[in-house]
This record gives sequence, C-alpha cells and structure tokens, in this order.
Amino acid sequence: MDDTQRRVDELRKTSSELENHLIDELVAGKISRRDFIRRGTVVGLSLSSLSFIAAACGGGDDEEAAPTGATDTTEGAPQPGGALRTGIIAPAGALDPLIVADEGGLAVLGQSGEYLTWSNDALELEPRLAESWTPNEDGSVWTFAIRQGVTFHDGAPLTAEDVAATLNLHADPANKGNALSAFGGVLSPGGATAVDEATVEVTLDAPNGNFPYLVSSDNYNVIILPATYDGNWESTFIGTGPWVLDTFTPQQGVTYTKNAEYWDPDRQPLADTSELRFYAEDQARVLAIQGGEVDVLSQFQVVAGGEALLQDANITVIEVPASQHRQIHLRTDQEPFTDKRVRQAMALLLDRPALIDGLFQGKADLGNDSPFAPVFPSTDTSVAQRAVDVEQARQLLADAGKGDGFKVQLSTWDNYEIPQLAQLLQSAAQEIGVEITLNVTDAGTYYSDFWLNSPLGITDYGHRGVPNVFLTAPLESKGVWNAAHFANSTYDGLVADYVAAVDLESQRTIAKQLQELLLDETPIIFPYFYYHLSAEQSTVTGILPTGMGHIDLTKTGFTG
Amino acid sequence: MSTPEEQVVLAEHPLPEAPGEEHEETRVARRERLRLLLRSKTFLSGALIFGVFVFCAVFGPAVVPYDPLGSPTDILNKLESPSSSHLFGTDQLGRDIFSRVVVGARDILTVAFAATLLGTVLGAAIGLVTGYFRGIVDDVLMRIVDAFLAIPIVILGTVALVGLGPSKGTLIAVIGIVFAPIIARTVRAAVLSERELEYVQAAKLRNERAPYIMFAEILPNVTAPILVEFTVRLGYAIFAIATLSFLGFGVQPPAPDWGLQIKENYIIINSGYWWPTLFPALAIASLVISVNLITDGIARTFER
Amino acid sequence: MAIAQFLLRRLGLAIITLFLLSVIIFVAAQLLPGDVGRAILGPFADQRAVDQLNEELGTDRSIFVQYGDWIGGVVTGDLGESYAFRRPVEELLWPALRASAKLALLAFVIVVPIGIVGGVAAALKEGRFRDRFISIGGLSATAIPEFVWAVLMIMIFGLWLDILPVTAQAPRGAGFFTQVEYLLLPALCLVFVLFGYIARMARAGTIEALDADYTRTAVLKGLPRRTVIRRHVLRNSLLPTIAVVATQVGYLFGGLVAIEFIFNYNGIGQLIYRAALQQDFPLLLSATLVIGVVYLVATLVADLLYSLLNPRIRLASSES
Repeated sequence: MDDTQRRVDELRKTSSELENHLIDELVAGKISRRDFIRRGTVVGLSLSSLSFIAAACGGGDDEEAAPTGATDTTEGAPQPGGALRTGIIAPAGALDPLIVADEGGLAVLGQSGEYLTWSNDALELEPRLAESWTPNEDGSVWTFAIRQGVTFHDGAPLTAEDVAATLNLHADPANKGNALSAFGGVLSPGGATAVDEATVEVTLDAPNGNFPYLVSSDNYNVIILPATYDGNWESTFIGTGPWVLDTFTPQQGVTYTKNAEYWDPDRQPLADTSELRFYAEDQARVLAIQGGEVDVLSQFQVVAGGEALLQDANITVIEVPASQHRQIHLRTDQEPFTDKRVRQAMALLLDRPALIDGLFQGKADLGNDSPFAPVFPSTDTSVAQRAVDVEQARQLLADAGKGDGFKVQLSTWDNYEIPQLAQLLQSAAQEIGVEITLNVTDAGTYYSDFWLNSPLGITDYGHRGVPNVFLTAPLESKGVWNAAHFANSTYDGLVADYVAAVDLESQRTIAKQLQELLLDETPIIFPYFYYHLSAEQSTVTGILPTGMGHIDLTKTGFTG
Repeated sequence: MSTPEEQVVLAEHPLPEAPGEEHEETRVARRERLRLLLRSKTFLSGALIFGVFVFCAVFGPAVVPYDPLGSPTDILNKLESPSSSHLFGTDQLGRDIFSRVVVGARDILTVAFAATLLGTVLGAAIGLVTGYFRGIVDDVLMRIVDAFLAIPIVILGTVALVGLGPSKGTLIAVIGIVFAPIIARTVRAAVLSERELEYVQAAKLRNERAPYIMFAEILPNVTAPILVEFTVRLGYAIFAIATLSFLGFGVQPPAPDWGLQIKENYIIINSGYWWPTLFPALAIASLVISVNLITDGIARTFER
Repeated sequence: MAIAQFLLRRLGLAIITLFLLSVIIFVAAQLLPGDVGRAILGPFADQRAVDQLNEELGTDRSIFVQYGDWIGGVVTGDLGESYAFRRPVEELLWPALRASAKLALLAFVIVVPIGIVGGVAAALKEGRFRDRFISIGGLSATAIPEFVWAVLMIMIFGLWLDILPVTAQAPRGAGFFTQVEYLLLPALCLVFVLFGYIARMARAGTIEALDADYTRTAVLKGLPRRTVIRRHVLRNSLLPTIAVVATQVGYLFGGLVAIEFIFNYNGIGQLIYRAALQQDFPLLLSATLVIGVVYLVATLVADLLYSLLNPRIRLASSES
C-alpha cells in the first residue's frame, strides 16, 4: 500500500492542477471510476496511469445503469490472415477529407487516415498520432506530443509540421471544410503551431475543456495529412493508418492491403486485405450480411431490416451506446408554442420506454429533453426523468388557455424511424385535442425549406463524444441550427460556463442546471439516444465500432 | 410514318374498319355495342373487380372494422400476423392492414382517375390540333411530344416531385402532363384518317371555323380510340402512382396509400413479416388487372 | 438510297427532339429546391463554406447562362463535373450506363424469346385454355409492380432457397458467368413485367398473320403448317414485338430506380434519382440527356428493322 501510495503521489506531483483536481474528485467519491478514466483521457492522462490511480484510489464499484462500451460475445480468438469484406453505407459525395459529412464517407477516412486521438466505444480518448496532451492553466492552450517514427503511406515521416498544417487547413474558412462547424469559435487558422519536430501547440480562441475531442475521430474530417497535401485525396487515400489503398471504384467500394510499416505493434491488422463495400440502401446492406456477401456490417438500424439480424443465430450484433438522437423542436417564438406549458404538454405525450421498445427493440437510452445523454460523464443522472402523463398534458394545455386544442404542421424527412415517431406523436396528440398534420419530405427539401422555420419538426443528429455541439448550435440564441428559435440568456451563460469548464465536477454542476432549465422550458423534445449497432458473421470476431460510425478492423479476423 | 409507339397502340386497338360508315353512329349501333360489352367475360370480370374497389373507395371509411389511421395504443399489437380479428394482420404501428388497404383505394383511384382525365383532355386537345392543322404546328408539337416520350416517367416524376413537394395535386399534374403526349399521338393518328372524310370536307365548304370542325365534327368520331386510350392509361397511372409512392413521392403518412405501405414495410420482410407488404401489393396488382380487363373488353367490341 | 434519305431525316428529327429534351429537363430541374451549395455540403455545414461553394459553382448566374454553359459543353463532348462527387460526369455516367445495359440485355435475351414463343403458342390455340392461361397470366404478371417482384424474388431465391445472390452488383473482376448469376434475379423481375406485353404483341401479330391471305394461300398450296408458320407468320409476329421492345428501352434504362435500389445496383436510374435529390445538376441533366439519346437510337433502330422486315412500308413516305 505504501508503495502504491508513493507512486500515486509521484504521479500527482508531475500532474497538472487539472489532473490533480480530477484525482481529488475520484478520491472523494464524487465521480465513478469509469467517469474518472473517461474524463482523464480527455485531459491527457495516459490510460495506464489512470487505471493505476483508479485501482489505488478509486472508491467502490461502479454502479452505472448504462452498459460500458461495446459488448462482443463471440467465442474464440481471431486468426490472422484472410480477406475481410465489410459493408458500409455508400458515401454520399466526393471522398475529400475537407468536405466529407456523412457516415459512409467518414468510415472510409478512418481506414487509411488517422487522428491525433481516437474516441472509442466507451467515449474514452485513446492516443493515436498524439502520444500525450496537456492543457495550460485555463484550457486555452493545448500542447500535443506527436508520436515519432510514424510514416505516411508514401514513406514521408510524420512531423509536427504536418499536424499543425492539417489543423490550420480545416480551421480556415477559405477551405470550406466541414470541420468548421466544430472549430468555429474554437480554433482559428494559424492557431496550431509546430514548436519542434515532435510538439504542436494549439492556441484556442477561448478556453475549451473538451478540445482533445475536437481533434479526435469524433471530428472525423481531421485525419492528419502531409503538410504538402494539395487536394485529390481520392487518388491516394494518403494517411498514416493501418490500411493502405489498393483500389477505389467510385460508388462501389474500396480495397485495402495492410500497412507493413504501421507504427502500432498492438494494432497490426490481422487480415491480409480489407474490402469496404458500399451499400446505398439499408435493406440491401442487411440482406448482404444475411446472404453471406459481407463478413461485417458497420452499421444497421432495427427498423430498417435490422430486426432479422437481432434474431439471426449466425450473426453477432455489437451494441455501442451512443449519443445519436432526434430533436423534436417546438418554435418558442411563434404560436402555438410560445407558452412553455404547451411545450411541456407535448413532451408529456410520449411514452418513451414504449418508443424505445417499439422502434429500437430496446437498443436506446431514455432522453430527458436535454442534450445530456446518459453516455456523457458530465450528465447529471440525478435529474428526474420525464415520463408520459397525458392527464397532466391536458391540464397544462387548459392552463395555457388552449384547452380546445389547436392545429399544427410537423415537418421532417423520411429517415429510418422518424416517420413512425412522427405518426406516434401525431396519434398521441389527438388525445389532448392537438391536430398534427405531417409533412414528410426528403432531406434536401426539409433542410432547405422547413428545418429552421417550421413550428414543429424532427431533425436527426449524429453521435458526438461530448455534448458541446448539441448545447450550442441548436439552442444558443445565436446558434446556427436553432430550429426552436430558443433565446434564453441564462441558458447562453450557462453553456459558456460549461464549455469553458475543464474539470468534471464543474461540468456536472452546470449540466444539472442546464438539464433542469431545459426540462422547464422544453424548446426541444429529446425522446431517446439510440445505440450504434454493428454486426458480424459468427465466424468473424474483433470488430471495434464507435458510436460515430467509425469501424476499426485491425483486430478483426476469422475464428478457426 | 408511324412510330413504334403508334404501331403498338394501333396493333392492339385498331380503328373501326369502315370509316365512311362510322360517320353516323346511330343509337342502335351504340346499343348493340353495349350489349356486346356486357356479354364479354373479360369486361365483366374486370368490371366486377373494379367495382369492388370503387365500393371500397366510396364506402370504405364507413364500413371498415378499425380506424385506418390507428390509435396510440395500437403499437402494443404491432406486427400481428393475419387472424380472425385482423384479417390482413397489423403493421409496424399496430394498425389494421385490412382497413388500411380498403380505405387506401380512395386515394389511388381519385389520383389515377384525375391524372388520366387530365392527360386525356390535354392529349386529345393536342392530338386534335396537330392532326387537323398538320404543317408546322404539327411538326413542332410532335417533336415536343417525342422529347417527353424519351424521358422515363420516373425521372420526370422525381424531379417534379422533389421540386414541388409531394402532394396529390402534384402527382395528378405530373402524371397527367406526362401522359398527354402519348395520348396525343393516338388521337392524332385517328384524326389524320378522319380529316380526309366527306363530312369534314363538307363542313369546310360550309365555312365552319376550325375549332368547330375539330370539336363538333371530328371529336365525336374519335371517341372510340380516346376511350380506349383512357382506360389503357388508367392502368399505367395506377402503376406509376404506386412506383412514385414507393420512392417516397406519393401521399403523406399516415395516409393508407398502397405504394406508401409497401415502401414502409418491405424493409422488414427479411425478418419474416410478409403480410404488411403482400396485401397492398395484391391490391395494386388486382386493380391494375381489372382495369386491363376492362380495356381489353372495350377494345374488342370496337374491333367488331 | 431510300435508306440513306430515311436515316438522314430521322437523324435531323432526333437532333431537334434532343434539343427540346434538353430544354425540358433543364427547365424541370429548375424546380428543384434552392441551395446547391447547401445540398452538397449538408445541412450542418458552415454558412460561409456554403456561400463560397455556390460562388465557385456559379449557381447564382442567370439560367440562360447556365443552360448555355451546359449545352455548349455537351455539344463539344464535355458533360460537366458532378457537384456532389467532384469528378467528371463521364466517369460516373459510363459505368452506370454499362451496368444498366447489361441488365437490360440480360432481361431482353430472356424475355423476347419466351414472350414470342408464348404469344405464338397462345395465338395458335386462340380462345382455348392455353391462350387464356398465357394471356391472363402474362397480364397479371405485368400488373404487379417490378419492385414487388423484386422483394418476392429476393425472399424466395435469395434468402429462403439461398441459391442466388441478393444483390446485383458482382464483385470487381468477376467473370461473365458470375455477373450473369448476380443479375439473374433483377432480370427475372423485368422478365415478369415485360412478358405479358411482348406475348400480347406477338399473339396479335400472329393472329393477324394467320388470318392473312398469303397464309391461307400457302396452306391451300399444301405447305406443312410448320413451314407456313416459320416462313410467314413468325416474321409478322416479330414486327410488333420490335416496336414494343423499342418503346421499353427508355424504361429499361432510366425507369428502374426501384429495382436498382432494392438490389443495390449502380445503374443509371438510381444515379439520376440521387442526382435529383442532391441537386447535382450537371449529373442530372447530362445523364437524362444520355437516356434520351439511348431511347431515340433504339426507336431509330426499331424503325429500321421494322421497315426491313416489312417491305410494305415505304421508307421515305409522307406523314401517315
């Protein structure tokens, strides 16, 4: 014990104030071991140190309701060799790291490209091209130690210059990058500088406690490219990753061979070759694995033919709890939803457990009308969960002077279970006299014509490792995705505090206030946060999917 | 020279044999034709099935056992297989499929009818004008017709419906406009033979104005091919509407549109739920077949 | 000489039609909702990025300028660059066209012989059971939408019996027979849909030929029935069939969106469909134009064949 304690003290001495604060919280029992590890990786502590400290200082067992990370119950160890075939969603556009904005495209980026950090299925940050990272006192400058001995597929060595150049490339508005939505207000071009061969210093526009997430696989555009990169990624798929481009057939798929010079001894690809096959349609994707045309399916949905996979004895399903969700927005600046009691009434109409059961076969977490998904460590789980209560809904409507009900149009687009969700809301609303007419179109029409000005709508949001983006863009007064036209200065202030907060305890305290504020105001209904589901044949094991849609195939192989 | 399309139509439904004698369709001749029609087994079987659907369209909502739009508690009975309480089973939201299929007849019949009517009216007008005037007007209009024929209806439909938003009105307009050129072709061919006949020359000598000649003299004598075209196109319209609904451009949920039902439910067939897809599909098939049988029956009587 | 005159005339008409087609589709495409830059970069992209992209693509120019640009390019062989995929339209178009052609060809090769045989067989026993069966069977099959057939076929042959692949896209480098194996299910769906139509045409043609004078003469002259059928009747039943096949070409290329979806096949139908949804104008416009060309070529060839087979039609005739 003494020895251990001494080691812990030594670690503490070399740790920053931030890291020590985190350890204090763990010792005081304010955070669970799991959250400690998760949060610790963000602020730059290595996983091994974290596990050591957690074992030494950690309190009792975790009592978490939500499952930790993915569950893979395949028996048998994977054998090396073989040709792996994985079905993914077809990329929707050009494979240019700057502009990729869909799940198919990002999965491709993540095969041959690599990030500074990797946000895994448990939302922990694993070091990749960055060996370690530390913030300064207030989190406005982050320093990354860049791994040495790494080469790009063309043989050129990876240096800090390349990293800085990549970050600045994505942060520059002139390049029209998709990552601007994450870097906007956080990082400006030139903010990243190579201090020496192996160190990059990133100076942010404002303190940000979650910055390492923004250079992780979560911000999927930011694969590290050579400083000399000048476009046309599709011709080389250049990167430092474990898979090297063999052939690329647009609209059909990509084949890779394994990278013989890959830097990570623990993640040398098992299979000899890997093929990603593009499937534009969900049913085709599901049928492909059922029919044996692919060995792995990177993503599927229960409502889109996935139910058969859940019941198929030859298929193993991997669940990753994630933060992907739907936002049912209610315009706060327009009738009929100006009175918050009316908005609360709408929220009370939904029987969320039944929804999760019916739409996802239980593969989702309950949403409590705020972006704080159960998977986030900063979520305050003590806040009471809203449940269905039609009587109260009726009462609230009457109190707000709308006892006779009203008519409203709901706009959305045809995506997975969204039309069903809309219809279920519609039929539930009938019970309190609210008549909803549905306007279900396609993505293009919804986003250009209805999204930001409809009184009632449903929008799909993909997974993120931290709730920052969900808190700012859809809900801040100046938020660019603020379909609910929510303008609440208290809220804005709290969010600014949250974003700047570097330690978990403060984040959680602020989260509690935010959650309660949003439950009261209810500009948006968050009914659920659904899991990311992947599948593999029973003869295959070792896939490592993430909630984002990445799939790490290095440890994937055929059993026996 | 007639194009393949025209050949097809004319081969299937040839014009009456003796043009001169057809000028005066006496009431006796019409009654004779009707009697023939009612004796045709094809026509009768088609009319019977079609009649069932018309009944569903008109009285459906009143006679179905369940509310086709469902109620919130339905989801507890989702995806039940066909049984005595639910003849066609229930769908993903627990709604009774039998009720939805029956009530769904209304939308598809109204849209199909309206679209075909629109197309026929437009097409007949174009056909009359081009057939009668010929020359430049004919050339230009026929080239435009050719251009429309070269674009598959699904593509035009997709572009129009993405642009204008899916709604019954847009569907009717799109299909009607796409059908007009095809119908115009047939009508034009018929008018071309008619215009050489005596009664037309006589009218010209009387100094009747062109519109009068076209609509009062020629039109009544080309009703046969127009009628046949109408029924042929009705079948195609139903088909086209189902396909466009399947692609997501049809009526909005939760409407019990057959194409929409197939679209929503075919994706779970691989999980063993065949009934939510099968019954709307059978409905589409039998409706189209019935229309085709009616068309066949009518065409055959005109062949005599 | 008549043939040359005929061809020239048809070519001239075709060009006019194509021009009109380009105008129609361009005007129709203007219906598509707003923002091209937004459609490509997605709803969550930064507005500055969207504005820049729009400026780069030139979507704010007048539609006359845009049309002129596009058509000018097409005439000189440049079909433009896809907005969504950032590569020349040709690179996306030709593979898709080839794919559609393969499927269409396979479907034709199966359905035309079967349809003709069925139609002739029905006609030879007109009014009897065989005729009824083939006619009504064909009719029923045609009435079932092709996407319904697709789902049924996949369930039966792909999953339950597990003897055919469930998607149509064969792996890269697959040989001829493998490709046929993958294309068999979607081709069968098309066969079901087209069989009734072709059989009906063949049947009508056969009946007419059987009734014709020259047939009766041949029979009276003592020629065996089989020879009569082979020599005279078959040729006439082919005529309407050619006509039908030509009109279906447009459908078989651009109208198969639903089947291409279900079978995950990269044909030209779904290429155009997605281009419409993504407002990828260069791809949408050029691809539709190409389908128009295919259709016009098909009808031209059909007309030629028709005239060759039926000497009674004069080639360079006046309007009918």
